[in-house]
Amino acid sequence: MAGLAWKWPRTRLPVGASALGVFVLCWLYVFPVYRLPDEKEIVQGVLLQQGRAWRRNHTALALFRKLLEECCDPGQLFAMTKQNSPMGKNLWFDGELLYSFTIDNATYSLFPQATPLQLPLRKCSVVGNGGILKRSGCGRQIDSADFVMRCNLPPLSREYSKDVGTKTQLVTANPSIIQKRFQNLLWSRKAFVDSVKVYNHSYIYMPAFSMKTGTGPSLRVYYTLQDFGAKQRVLFANPNFLRDIGKFWKSKGIHAKRLSTGLFLVSAALGLCEEVTIYGFWPFSVDLRGKFISHHYYDNVLPDSGFHAMPEEFLQLWFLHKSGVLRMQLEQCEDPLMQPAT
Amino acid sequence: MGYTDPSSSRDLLGNRTLFFIFICAFAVVTLLQQILYGRNYLKRYFEFYEGPLEYNSTKCLELRQDIIAVKVLSMVKQTELFDRWKSLQMCKWEMNVTEANLFKSTLSRCCNAPAFLFTTQKNTPLGTKLKYEVDTSGIFHINQEIFKMFPKDMPYHRSQFKKCAVVGNGGILKNSRCGREIDSADFVFRCNLPPISEKYITDVGVKTDVVTVNPSIITERFHKLEKWRKPFYDVLQVYENASVLLPAFYNTRNTDVSIRVKYVLDDFESQQAVYYFHPQYLINVSRYWLGLGVRAKRISTGLILVTAALELCEEVHLFGFWAFPMNPSGIFITHHYYDNVKPRPGFHAMPSEIFNFLHMHSKGILRVHTGTCSCC
Repeated sequence: MAGLAWKWPRTRLPVGASALGVFVLCWLYVFPVYRLPDEKEIVQGVLLQQGRAWRRNHTALALFRKLLEECCDPGQLFAMTKQNSPMGKNLWFDGELLYSFTIDNATYSLFPQATPLQLPLRKCSVVGNGGILKRSGCGRQIDSADFVMRCNLPPLSREYSKDVGTKTQLVTANPSIIQKRFQNLLWSRKAFVDSVKVYNHSYIYMPAFSMKTGTGPSLRVYYTLQDFGAKQRVLFANPNFLRDIGKFWKSKGIHAKRLSTGLFLVSAALGLCEEVTIYGFWPFSVDLRGKFISHHYYDNVLPDSGFHAMPEEFLQLWFLHKSGVLRMQLEQCEDPLMQPAT
Repeated sequence: MGYTDPSSSRDLLGNRTLFFIFICAFAVVTLLQQILYGRNYLKRYFEFYEGPLEYNSTKCLELRQDIIAVKVLSMVKQTELFDRWKSLQMCKWEMNVTEANLFKSTLSRCCNAPAFLFTTQKNTPLGTKLKYEVDTSGIFHINQEIFKMFPKDMPYHRSQFKKCAVVGNGGILKNSRCGREIDSADFVFRCNLPPISEKYITDVGVKTDVVTVNPSIITERFHKLEKWRKPFYDVLQVYENASVLLPAFYNTRNTDVSIRVKYVLDDFESQQAVYYFHPQYLINVSRYWLGLGVRAKRISTGLILVTAALELCEEVHLFGFWAFPMNPSGIFITHHYYDNVKPRPGFHAMPSEIFNFLHMHSKGILRVHTGTCSCC
């Protein structure tokens, strides 16, 4: 059939490539790439909303909770328990590519029988560590909630108690913190036990099965607290729950390697609590009045870029605030003039 | 129509017959052995026993000479050595000050425990590159944190204690009732975290001033102290104020685990001190004993402690040092007084160590207790 060779018109570009180019252009026209608004635009948007009073929207809340229930079931899967992770079960680490772990006898014995929280919780405060909390005077309001969740073992010393409160029922601890601040608990452990004393009777929530390197330190936190007869108890995050939450938010358009602890915690809180108020979730370098603020309320150490997508997460939370699912506290709770000058 | 085995009549030297003959021969040999050794017992029975003989009596001199005459372990049969050792028990033991001083002075020249037994801030200054005992290529750099763990200077000095007891863990201690006598010593060394619970108290006593811990125990029983630490702390607490002694710089594997012990005790605010053997001391001691015929991959912790005790104490008493499967009377004993776990073969040369102790006992340098105690 060589004689019947029908020739394409001669072009510089191969036809396949140009067809692909046209296809991509059409695709971008139909599904335009979402451009992240920059910091100034977001602040402007927030300021526009600021005057209006926030109202709880019960239908939106019920709908959102139902979505969460369907995807992730926070009430059951929030933590590792003997019920949801039987011995011999294979767990895939959610922060690693193809790395699994089989629950053995020794690990199984560390889990509580069932989720130890009294569900549903009524009023929850989720406290992020944003610099916006500084001189906010929100301490009293945070403490007035029934259940207070905090992220990444934040300092709660006297100087911050006016702004961030003193009560804690659940605090997350990243294994990387254990590694950096407490040498993986391989040497002296007293410093760690002393540093978590401020959290009184709280649960320490550790993503033990997210990263390969995190398992050892997380289990060691458990052993350490048990050795010293500490009041804190350790809950291990369920990697399946974390993965489902990650997928859930990815479908809502958060493009990050990994969600921040804060967003995990807010998602869990929305599933566990009836009312959720979040504080200190503000990943920008200026506050609502345009003043520069530090990254955290206790220091100004910036995170590694490109790991978390904080502004995108903020926009999602802001959307939830606007639709009345949760309340985001951004302005000061009490007049700073009432506070003693520092 | 019965079937008869065609080979039944020809099985004169068949398997069964051979087997029977073999058993018979074995029985006869055993019987003969019993009679031969029984004669010794009979002889002793007829001798008139008039309480312990004086140290300087001619009989005792003879008996001691009997043991000293055995130059190497393979020279005589084990049972023969046991018999000589048993006969010697008739004599009182006294320290031979000149012999003891001679021995101690050679020790001070080779090893010098009062200055080099532990790593101290004085003998291991900051920034020292400490050489391991076995991993000769391995070097441990003494940094500020490790340096702070060391004691300022050696806590003990030469001949500080009048009477010391070094307690080995041999099964010979079982039912020895030596607890009181051990406790009556001024300073008691124990090896490898032995149990001293209620059950063993009459045999081994409770007083402990130094207890050694082998890092391999920590690795096996306490998960390298990477998991729970309270169980380990609870075990150490049994020894009350005893110092914990570890061969941290024996090889590289031991270091982290040993240093962790210090952290554990500090974390739980314990008063117990933690000391580490100086690797150079260990090298010197094993070289010294090699010269005396102890050929082993590694000398036992007990031998190191005895060597140290000889320098730190005037009088050294050894309990539970007996590494043979039977006691001097020929009755089988367990390997340790608390269990019967045999060690890895070919690692320690226990019999030759014990043999050296028996020699030293005969010379009056130290005293080895192998029988029951009747003291107090």
